[in-house]
Amino acid sequence: MQLIRKQYNPFIRKNDSTTLVMSDVMIALLPSILITWLAFGFAPLVVILVSVGTALLAEYLFDLIFRKSTSSLGDGSAIVTGILLALTIGPFTPLPIVAVGAFFAVVFGKMLWGGLGRNTFNPALIGREFMVVLFPAVMNSSAIFNNPEYVRGGELNVFNNEFWDSLVFHPIGAMGEYSPLLLVIGGLYLLLRRRISWHIPLALWISFSLMLFFFRDHNILFNIGGVLLGTIYMATDMPTSSSTHAGKIYFGAMVGVVALLCLLFGATRGYLSYVILLLNAFVIPINWIFRPRTWGKDVNWGKRAVQAVLLTIGIIAATFAILWLHHAEGMLYVMLFYALYTIVRFVLSNENDPWGKLRKIKRNLQ
Amino acid sequence: MMQIESHKSKTKGKDILSVVDPELFKITLAEKFGSKPKPIVQIGETVKKYQMIARSEEGYLAPAYAPVSGVIEKIEKSRQLDDSEALTIFLRNDRKDISVEDPLSSQDARDPESIRKIIEKAGIVGMGGAEFPAALKYDLDGKKVDTFIINGAECEPYLTSDYSLMKRSAAEILEGIHIIDKILNADKIVLAIEKHNEDLKEVFDPLLEKEIYKKISIEIVPDEYPQGGELQLTKTITGIEIANGDVPLEKGVIVSNVGTVYAVYEAVVKNKPVIERVITLSGESVRSPGNYVVKIGTPVEHILENLSINVENKILVSGGPMMSPHLRNVSAPINKGTLGILVLPKENINRLNCIWCGYCVDVCPMYLMPMKYDQFYRQRDYKKMEAYNIEDCIECASCEYICPSNVPLMESILNGKNKLKN
Repeated sequence: MQLIRKQYNPFIRKNDSTTLVMSDVMIALLPSILITWLAFGFAPLVVILVSVGTALLAEYLFDLIFRKSTSSLGDGSAIVTGILLALTIGPFTPLPIVAVGAFFAVVFGKMLWGGLGRNTFNPALIGREFMVVLFPAVMNSSAIFNNPEYVRGGELNVFNNEFWDSLVFHPIGAMGEYSPLLLVIGGLYLLLRRRISWHIPLALWISFSLMLFFFRDHNILFNIGGVLLGTIYMATDMPTSSSTHAGKIYFGAMVGVVALLCLLFGATRGYLSYVILLLNAFVIPINWIFRPRTWGKDVNWGKRAVQAVLLTIGIIAATFAILWLHHAEGMLYVMLFYALYTIVRFVLSNENDPWGKLRKIKRNLQ
Repeated sequence: MMQIESHKSKTKGKDILSVVDPELFKITLAEKFGSKPKPIVQIGETVKKYQMIARSEEGYLAPAYAPVSGVIEKIEKSRQLDDSEALTIFLRNDRKDISVEDPLSSQDARDPESIRKIIEKAGIVGMGGAEFPAALKYDLDGKKVDTFIINGAECEPYLTSDYSLMKRSAAEILEGIHIIDKILNADKIVLAIEKHNEDLKEVFDPLLEKEIYKKISIEIVPDEYPQGGELQLTKTITGIEIANGDVPLEKGVIVSNVGTVYAVYEAVVKNKPVIERVITLSGESVRSPGNYVVKIGTPVEHILENLSINVENKILVSGGPMMSPHLRNVSAPINKGTLGILVLPKENINRLNCIWCGYCVDVCPMYLMPMKYDQFYRQRDYKKMEAYNIEDCIECASCEYICPSNVPLMESILNGKNKLKN
């Protein structure tokens, strides 16, 4: 009898895959995508298509050049990144800028880190930040969010109440923010399919609401749709959020706290993007400090509490540093430094071996 | 813990059949738990069925018995089911079926210590797979047993050998429990059965009306994996959480598998040492799946040939599909801890990066973070594996079962543990 390579247990597996995880996110977002048509016709759908198409192309080309294994397009993560990026921007954003954003999202947000799962930051939000710092004039103009020529349905009038109507359909702001109701329905689907857990969204909303209550004397304006998009689809992104229950609660709560700090100190545009990216950077210590108690073992809760307090101080300090940079127009340099860092990291990592691959390409060309 | 596909319907409820004895038996003498069993027979010697052919001079007795009468053909090293080597006695079956008259002299065993000695002499070990010597487990050394748990949970998919044994020999198992309790004198005795085997209650309930069994109760536990793990079952029944590596007896708990209890009955009442066990033969392309009594030392290839099972291009597993090792050497023999033989389709596993979904953290029964072990194994950072308590992993493989990216978690954990040991 012929022996086959030693295999490790288990010999049965749950019928699940990364592709199914990504497909569920797509299904959850589909209603929110379709409703953009109700607002502005085909213009938003074109933006989404360009974003997804560029994301796929960027991933395909990167795989072709730098990775020895076959293409990673099949996992579907590029499509999700493309959709999420498009949903955070206005429906009339110039298409070349959309393409640049999607390219940066995939290459600098994911591939240079070593592919899906190895990235520290949410790729879609990285793409969005690059768009903001590279094309500030366009990204900060209100023209990308509205164009009277394209308006189809306009405002909804079902409840005879502006607030309740706006929860169903309110085509203001970024494309993904039009319908809080559909975002929540998609979120419930993800919850049902266990693609997200309740910990991050619930902790986030509780801490955000508490902060709103404490600072109710300040005039704080925010878009419910935007917060929901961030809460359900960005802050819960698997690779870039905490993986333990306690960690998720802390992560969500801190997103709420930092988001309100940003609103209070004048970073009102795209603040949630800052907040989530900032928290992404702290996921490794969060996972460590909020790791579960091992079965049958005791935990030094005092030590953990001290660590958690120090971590919180660190996160708040980082928030103010980012706010200062934001007001000092320094975000461009932050993003350029980030780009440089990911490139150096990629070049130095043994696992990726980019020089070997470039030599191979050179040989093939000769 | 988690829900898991059971795959048990193929063999559940099937009567226990026997496999024809092979021509050549291979009795492996593994050095375990401080004992070093050595042959006490010569090459060429004729032995009887139930004759002791090996024992350890130091530590636990660890005896081995001839499963049939025959001639010792050779004594040399050969591979066991898990691919490790051990000294092996090759016994040529003479088909005369001559037995030793009184192999254990168990009729005199009345007091606890002499019963325990019979259990040791019969070579009874944990039949649930761990193979820990029962006589050592029942050596209380003055400690008090609050709860004696009989593990009939059988949480591994495909396996139905414990179920079929309980169904066939309920009375014998209760008698075995009663005998063991003479040693343990436990306050409470619980027979734990998973929800999907609830029908066994009907078999046990009428028998439990006997006065001598009044301490024994049946508890239905949830269909979860790994419910049958000693630590998990102890928590479900008693609420006590025992750390991996700690001795349950320290917390007043003793857990024994139903197969072990049945072996005690056979030894003490029937005067028979352990020479056979029930295994489940199943898988995706086995034409005659079922539960079979097989003699210890029967080579796997004999069973496969006898039941005409084609293993070309298949993966063989010696036991449950979750925890048992890949069986690569079909000439290796069945041992006391073999729960079954599974023939599963060979699959191409598409390994992707971990996406930190946290499913493995959710299902880990020991509350660990399995994905971290993959990360540190790739980075060859074994010290960090220790910081994440890798030694508490019970290797149940729940993490890799649930993983959507098919991350090689078990490979990382098993190799990581080995690296840390050396």
